[in-house]
Amino acid sequence: MISYLLLAVLLQGAGAPSPRALTPRDSAYHVLNRLAYGPRPGDLDSVARLGVMRWIDLQLDPRHIDNPFLAERERQFPFLGLSRDDLARLYLQAQRARQERLRADSMSRAATDAADQTPEALRARRIAGQFQELAVVRAVLSQRQLEEVMVDFWTNHFNVFFGKGADRFLTPSYIEATIRPNALGKFADLLIATAQSPAMLFYLDNAESVAPGSVPPQLARLQARTQFGLSPRRRIFLDPMGPMRADSLRQRALLRMPKGLNENYARELMELHTLGVDGGYTQQDVINVARIFTGWSLERPQQGAGFVFNDWAHDYGAKTVVGVTFPAGHGMDEGLRLLKLLASEHATMHHVSKQLCARFVADDPPDGCVDDAVAAWHRSGGDIREVLRAIFHGPDFWAPQNVDTKLKTPLEFVVSAVRAVGADPDTTPRLAQVVARLGEPLYQHVAPDGYPEREEDWVNSGALLARMNAAVALASGQLSGVTVNLDAVAPATADADQLIGAIDDKIFAGRLSPHTKQVIRDQVADVRDPEQARTLAIGLALGGPDFQRQ
Amino acid sequence: MTINRRVFVKSGGLALFSLGLDPLFLARAAYAAGRPSVRPSDRPTLVCLFQRGAVDGLNMIVPHGDGLYYRERPRIAVPAKDVVDLDGYFGLHPSLAALKPLWDNKSLAAVHAVGSPDATRSHFDAQDYMESGTPGVKATADGWLNRYCQHDREHENTPFRAVAFGPQLPRILAGSAPSLAIDDLQAFGLRAPQEAARDRLTRAFEALYEGSATGLLASSSQEGFEAMQMLKQMNPSQYQPANGAAYPRGRLGRSLLQIAQLIKADVGVQIAFADVTGWDTHVNQGASEGQLAARLKELGDGLAALAQDLGEKMRDVVVLTMSEFGRTIRENGNSGTDHGHATAMLALGGPVNGGKVLGAWPGLDPEKRFEGRDVAVTTDFRDLFAEILARHLGAADLAPVFPGYAPDAAKFVGVIRT
Repeated sequence: MISYLLLAVLLQGAGAPSPRALTPRDSAYHVLNRLAYGPRPGDLDSVARLGVMRWIDLQLDPRHIDNPFLAERERQFPFLGLSRDDLARLYLQAQRARQERLRADSMSRAATDAADQTPEALRARRIAGQFQELAVVRAVLSQRQLEEVMVDFWTNHFNVFFGKGADRFLTPSYIEATIRPNALGKFADLLIATAQSPAMLFYLDNAESVAPGSVPPQLARLQARTQFGLSPRRRIFLDPMGPMRADSLRQRALLRMPKGLNENYARELMELHTLGVDGGYTQQDVINVARIFTGWSLERPQQGAGFVFNDWAHDYGAKTVVGVTFPAGHGMDEGLRLLKLLASEHATMHHVSKQLCARFVADDPPDGCVDDAVAAWHRSGGDIREVLRAIFHGPDFWAPQNVDTKLKTPLEFVVSAVRAVGADPDTTPRLAQVVARLGEPLYQHVAPDGYPEREEDWVNSGALLARMNAAVALASGQLSGVTVNLDAVAPATADADQLIGAIDDKIFAGRLSPHTKQVIRDQVADVRDPEQARTLAIGLALGGPDFQRQ
Repeated sequence: MTINRRVFVKSGGLALFSLGLDPLFLARAAYAAGRPSVRPSDRPTLVCLFQRGAVDGLNMIVPHGDGLYYRERPRIAVPAKDVVDLDGYFGLHPSLAALKPLWDNKSLAAVHAVGSPDATRSHFDAQDYMESGTPGVKATADGWLNRYCQHDREHENTPFRAVAFGPQLPRILAGSAPSLAIDDLQAFGLRAPQEAARDRLTRAFEALYEGSATGLLASSSQEGFEAMQMLKQMNPSQYQPANGAAYPRGRLGRSLLQIAQLIKADVGVQIAFADVTGWDTHVNQGASEGQLAARLKELGDGLAALAQDLGEKMRDVVVLTMSEFGRTIRENGNSGTDHGHATAMLALGGPVNGGKVLGAWPGLDPEKRFEGRDVAVTTDFRDLFAEILARHLGAADLAPVFPGYAPDAAKFVGVIRT
């Protein structure tokens, strides 16, 4: 009996839904928390005035939302003007500079460090920092908030790891050209775009996957030369690199030579991107999907690292996937056919809809929410906007037990805090570094499942302390790279009630818990300096438990 | 609708209940509730050092008794005259000389030809597998050290049970059991210019979270504040290593010093983890001196300092080094080595069956090599990790720690004295 009581208490503690019905301003707060990265000063009133449902419709069709401020800010990120070719060239230059430095002197630790400090390496790091910061800046400044939320969602759903070799230069174009244009489009288009993206092909090793026994034409030529061509002595004589080096290069070429099927992409495509782990596919399906994608690869960085279909590497045999036959003799077209098939499988609709509901409604989404989303998916042929619309119109999205209960991810926490105090970030990578310190270094999730959505993945004692520190640093204007505007929240005053009233109203839509208000009141009570009082009150509010949830 | 019957058993200060059926926050709340007041100081501790970048096991634990080693590495082999001989066939790289006394007193062992059953030569994949403990399976969400913590609840009584030194929790400790990532002990906690301001902020946030936090926010914040309190009593900024131990400068030395500090403070550290980078020696790796030698010197001096500093405490400590794979037997055209397969790991500490190079040595003969070029794996890293968990930390059930694998005591190399 005791245990049930304890359980009930704990459960109640976890949810703590507010029993009262949502006012228009409460509703505005809820949609700004879930469809956007939290309210900026003034947003609550303007969304409530416009009408929450109308605001949602606007956000679902972002082409009609003007975004001049962000457009102007984006121009301060010069890497956006670089093509994949440019980035590939910079990457190769940085690699070459590093190797040269190491070859010249590798006797000391200092030399290794110096090799990481070449101008080329520094430039590459600067671009990487800018690229991460841009994601945060867009989330802070864009008027098309839902689009930014969905870009983050898909970036994790179709995760790639920035730190894996060529993905260091492939990831920016992956975000710009693959994810962003499709974030609110048709799921099938997005799926195909990711399947053909060099970043994904490299990340999940499909670029390496070839029909067993196939030999790339260059290597076939090389083999022919050694069999019928020059004598070994003459080769040494001709080879300016010397025999050891040439031998090593040949060995490396052989090593680099793809050896057969690689199932990584095939497996994750079904497990994570489409059907879901319980989606009813078998290991044989994984193998056959891998066979279908043999030859889907990318050019060498020197050629620009674009998508390429290698005829020679493709398995032209017949295959069966989830009971569907793919007849022999087909090339790249069967991969496209498979992606369209997977995109329209019921298991896919269910799996992706469930993840969307987990993002927008609750970590463990109610069945009704998922069912509504799946029905809209059917109706619209996988139009992401319609699936989202169904979720936002459903009763679960508005149910009191699902309001103010989802824990913010580090990105959501940092961006919502910056927005709450009307802050303006510059182009230095400071905010992205804060997000990283809180546990979510952007584009750096190693595993293909992307950053998680669940509370337990983000809450640990070290991370919480880091959130408190970040909140206090932001409120006191100590985060360089961010200009805060506390006046937009509250006037500087030592009047505790006035401060708490303004914070509660502007940042929390009047939903701040009585306990939090009381603690802040106690803390501010003996602070005479109005600036200090305001900084302390806002810092505690943003670092406190209420602001960790949305 | 069925409600699972949940039973909270309180025995000897432990809270046990059916893990896996309950929401995590309940589990963590129960951890917090069942915290015993006594912290036994003689609990076993495991310190793991991950050599990221794939260390060249052959130049770390050198098979100087094998002529093939010298033939394959004309420019980077460690000359026999420089090797610190161990058993007539293997020897330490001269940069690891500081570890020789530990070998002599039988608290240092090496395990050679250890690695992954997966053939990947990608750092990214191989590190991932070594940390998830599931070679070949990418979708594993948590790390094996965390899974151990999830399933062995006996020690779940302190925020310092599992600590990683670094800005983020490494994959090996990712998962539902609470673990702490600490960049720097001195900086852990709330930041404010003066101590008075810091104390005030701490009290304020503690009050906020005590009253308003729900779910995991409540238990985790409590752990955090408790850890801060414990650290404050430890006074990390005043720490002086014992027995004249001198840690090398740099990140590794600092991490090891802080690990020693935590172990000595009896705050209940069971697992400590740190990274050490710089092992990817494709170019000009060097032989007795050079790039790799410098990294090994830092490692050897750091481990020796840790052992010296911990003194008697080493009786209950095992330090294990690990690296995602080894490097090619043959040197490459740039006087370096490329990605290989098996490597060597070091185990150090009182419980270690020291003074031996353990594991079946496959030799360097071309026909014994993996894919014709690399040292073959004769010990699956999971068997090594499992042995340490079972025989040092006392893990009762290894099946959930290494899913899809049944660690077999018959395959243990005997790294822990029984």
